[in-house]
Amino acid sequence: MNKNGVTVRFCGNAGDGIVTSGKIWSGALAQMGLDLMVNDNFSAEIRGNGKSTTDIRVSPKKVRSMGDGIDVLVAMSDEEAIVELGDVKSTGFVIYDCDDSEEARENHPLTKHIPGNIKAYPVPLKVFSNQTTNSNIGRNIVSIGALSYLIGLPSDMFVKLIKDKLLKKGERVAQMNIDAFSLGRNFCRENFGQHTSLDVPEGLKPKTMITGNAAVAQGAIDCGLKFFAGYPITPATTIMEIVAKELPKNGGWMLQTEDEIAAISSVLGSWFAGKRAMTSTAGPGLALMSEMINMGVMSEIPLVIANVQRGGPSTGLPTKSEQGDLNIAMYGGSGDSPRVVMAPSTCEECYTGIQLAFDLAEKYQTPVIFLSDLFLGQQTVVNSLTPKVEKERSTRIKPTDDALMDYNRFQSTKTGVSPWVVPGEEGAFYSITGLEHSETGNPNFDAGVHIRMQDKRSKKFESMKADLPTPKILGDKDAKIGLTCWGSPLGAIIEGMELAREEGVSSKLISSVMINPQPEKEFQKFFDSCVHIIIPEMNHSGQYASVMKSRYGIRPIEVHCPGVLTVSPRQIADKIKEVNV
Amino acid sequence: MNLLQKRHVLESFERAKATKAKAFRDELPTWCPGCGHFTPLQGLYEAAERLEIDAKDFVLVSGIGCSGRFPFFIKGFGLHSLHGRAIPVATGVKLANPELNVVVVGGDGDGVGIGGGHFPHAARSNLDLSYLLLDNAIYGLTKGQTSPTSPMGMVSSTTPYENISKPLNASTMALTYGATFVARVFSQEKDQVTDLITQAIAHKGFSFIHVLSPCIEFHKTITYESVEESVAHLPSDYTPDDHVEALVLSESTDPIYTGLFLEKKSPSYEDRMNDVKAGLQKPVASV
Repeated sequence: MNKNGVTVRFCGNAGDGIVTSGKIWSGALAQMGLDLMVNDNFSAEIRGNGKSTTDIRVSPKKVRSMGDGIDVLVAMSDEEAIVELGDVKSTGFVIYDCDDSEEARENHPLTKHIPGNIKAYPVPLKVFSNQTTNSNIGRNIVSIGALSYLIGLPSDMFVKLIKDKLLKKGERVAQMNIDAFSLGRNFCRENFGQHTSLDVPEGLKPKTMITGNAAVAQGAIDCGLKFFAGYPITPATTIMEIVAKELPKNGGWMLQTEDEIAAISSVLGSWFAGKRAMTSTAGPGLALMSEMINMGVMSEIPLVIANVQRGGPSTGLPTKSEQGDLNIAMYGGSGDSPRVVMAPSTCEECYTGIQLAFDLAEKYQTPVIFLSDLFLGQQTVVNSLTPKVEKERSTRIKPTDDALMDYNRFQSTKTGVSPWVVPGEEGAFYSITGLEHSETGNPNFDAGVHIRMQDKRSKKFESMKADLPTPKILGDKDAKIGLTCWGSPLGAIIEGMELAREEGVSSKLISSVMINPQPEKEFQKFFDSCVHIIIPEMNHSGQYASVMKSRYGIRPIEVHCPGVLTVSPRQIADKIKEVNV
Repeated sequence: MNLLQKRHVLESFERAKATKAKAFRDELPTWCPGCGHFTPLQGLYEAAERLEIDAKDFVLVSGIGCSGRFPFFIKGFGLHSLHGRAIPVATGVKLANPELNVVVVGGDGDGVGIGGGHFPHAARSNLDLSYLLLDNAIYGLTKGQTSPTSPMGMVSSTTPYENISKPLNASTMALTYGATFVARVFSQEKDQVTDLITQAIAHKGFSFIHVLSPCIEFHKTITYESVEESVAHLPSDYTPDDHVEALVLSESTDPIYTGLFLEKKSPSYEDRMNDVKAGLQKPVASV
């Protein structure tokens, strides 16, 4: 259990305080200095009739993914927990709510479902909760008390955290919950003895935590975001909420618009006036924005859109993760409509990537779609960001004084990028349009002009290649099996490659935050050195594989994990071994 | 073509030439000779001159339709955006740089049809934008289809038997949405058009001008003659400070009143935004 850390799953109904349990558990472990990752999984309902689970994987070494299976299941709802039992490893255990009598244990609905090789600890959660908090509401705190003992962790950090979290509700409430914690802990000590011992190395520094969405918001504010417009949508809303609070303190403003169309429209307006702006959304919102994204392409106005993907199509699976929006990001516009598409793989890349998105958008005057996903956006990890703060950052290419004498907004240049004057600046004015236009910006429908301007707009993507980060290449460079992936599955894939190597098969991987354009030479060279190429992704049709096939002429082995099921390390390891045979 | 129409055609050529002479842009307006849109364009030029607005600080945002071409004929920055989206685009421009004078121009299809969802929110926020809605009660650029402000009974290619939906009244909508400056004009009354555009731009907050601008090419019933016959200035003793009275008069169809229905002093969205930001700068009193 200890080598790869411990994964705990709290499971119950929506409203059972599952997410709070996760926060207290992970908060205490982060204070102890351990690395961890939290993945909340809840239904689209707020209270009742919906299942809610939260997984916390903690380890003394780097946690890259949620791994395979769970070590501990804390069952707050018997019914909901039955299907979760299948994920518990043989070395693991289950805590469930049961009155303290032989008879109650025998008749408990969960008992007969628990496999014989898994240890079960019945704890009277409801009874202890009522004894201390006069309601069922403290069951989650009792369970944390029980868990802390069974896993061999000291109680002080938990007590401190419960106190900190609940003091705002009054000292009495805080004390009630501390009592609830102690009852659960003492009950296990008196009845069961410790199940395992999670070694916490000496000298670890307390860690703070952050989510992918928070990293996106922070990255944007740190690199000069001045205006944000958005409309609430799961799972992107937290970006908007953080920006709403923080941006006004940093000289900017967040506008909640009447819909996603208004959001992207005012973002375009802000960029037209020369100020860094962005919006955040998820698939259905991105679909609504597609016409204005096209306007950005045609009128060469930057846009930055953080799209936190969820299950689709249509309203789809609002609270489940999927990588299903690559097609709409790449191709969702009328006409030939090239746009920058990026996908961060880690929380750090949410931060650095969104800053790169702004730099590319502004320098190359083009929309950038930044494809995060629910899993990456909502998962809580240890904060290991290296902040790069430049509140007045700009990468806009301005005209020289000479060029201003005869200024054309869409002047043809070697790079395809035209120097850019914004309203309020002296020297030149112009009009832009979503219609085809000549260098002046005035509408023009001549075939020659259209071809020339299409060339100009696509040339920018060639020029941009000079500014792209080098792709990540990992693994054994002589391996014949190569993988490529995009976005959040990277961590699980790296773990899968490590598993396969331990089991005798080595492999290598290439991945970039850039999906379009991409550092093509490096990718081509990598693919040329592989005998087999595996492309795992979290969707049903292999959207990234399609891009790779048409761009590099490769014939990869595709692994599709549509929605809900995240890519698992075991699955990747097995695939690598299967291909090797 | 009757005499009145001929007069308008000649006048509009003169205006087009005047546009060119003023060297605002090197583009001649592309509208049909006699189009109702020439006068508000002229009014906008004069208003900008009267208010001494520097071209570098002037941004005109339009949607799609005949009115959408406005930005190409003015001296300043222009943004010919998407169908129905002029208001939210202008919102972004204004909030990014509140120093700019931002004017929105759109038609009836653009403003109360496809973009109808944006209009209330700009009005209720009291953003400092001036919105000119040029209402010709028809889709002109697609050659004469029924619009959301077309009268009941109108026959067109998309309502070949008759239009069986009631028309929207854009002035009433603006009043209901909470705009702090609401006016209606007949596009041919040049002095009134110019005066009201000037006042609207000077107004701090969301100002709305409903311009009745007949389409000479496609509209069979809403013509210069018919509008001229049905409009009347608001009563001379009317003061534009009573919301309820303004609503009653804006709904009148006989006559159709023109003039300033309502003008209210109220902090703009930008004022309130600056208050919030200023509050954040203040040191928090220790408890």
